[in-house]
Amino acid sequence: MRDSNHPKMEENQLDPEKWVDRYSDYLFNYTIVRVNDREVANDIISETFLAGLNSMKNFKGEASERTWLISILKRKIIDHYRKSNSNKGQAEVKMNFPDSDNEGDWLEERVADLSDMTAEDQMENRELGLAILDCLDQLNEKQAKIFKMKTIDGLDTETICNEFNISPSNLWVIIHRARTSLAKCLEKNWF
Amino acid sequence: MKGISIMKLSCREAASVCNKAEYKEANLREKLRLKLHLFFCKTCKDYYQNNRKLTGLIKKADIKPCSAEQKEIFKQHMKNGNSKTTE
Repeated sequence: MRDSNHPKMEENQLDPEKWVDRYSDYLFNYTIVRVNDREVANDIISETFLAGLNSMKNFKGEASERTWLISILKRKIIDHYRKSNSNKGQAEVKMNFPDSDNEGDWLEERVADLSDMTAEDQMENRELGLAILDCLDQLNEKQAKIFKMKTIDGLDTETICNEFNISPSNLWVIIHRARTSLAKCLEKNWF
Repeated sequence: MKGISIMKLSCREAASVCNKAEYKEANLREKLRLKLHLFFCKTCKDYYQNNRKLTGLIKKADIKPCSAEQKEIFKQHMKNGNSKTTE
């Protein structure tokens, strides 16, 4: 939680030790919807953390740490697009021309696609996912971690209790607080 | 929340059962008592509905968590100055 009495102390400083724990989920969800490949996404995030480490002196403290990392991430994603486009150049020319046997098949294939989620829905869900992760960042770290394990990873109560050495009733109190703050945080834009 | 207990379930308990129900961890007896409580208590009913909505939103968002193993790999890479996730 931010201490509002000392905004200058708390805000906009880099703490690379905590980057992975704090931002991996956000960066991963940001990236995976843009590159659609787990391994590629992880490579890009890894590069982003490294690039962040190497350019810490360029951080002016105007943006938050995460915003700054995201700006690096965006450049890495664009680099990836450029690379994969230059590789793709030749593949794109090699189109499969339908032979007479399956001529016209593509029409039906396209129709099937229409039953899927619309691009707009997908876009909204991506934003929602990031908004939720954003709100979770505002909880204290332990609370957010427990909530994620329970809700997103779907782990059972016992496993989490053992890991954090808390009782089930402790766990439910934490879940309750997390859900209440999360609902409040999402209220304005999503409820 | 109101402090009065209605049908032997306080608002505090009702909220707890509400949460458990979202994770399918409330038993039948708890659920019945919750239903009764919600019938009389507007505050808890609102909480219940909001809570349902929250679960729906989380499900819709389909958040993909970054695994603990992957996080370890990132940390390792930051230490070693290496960025390939595939060996």
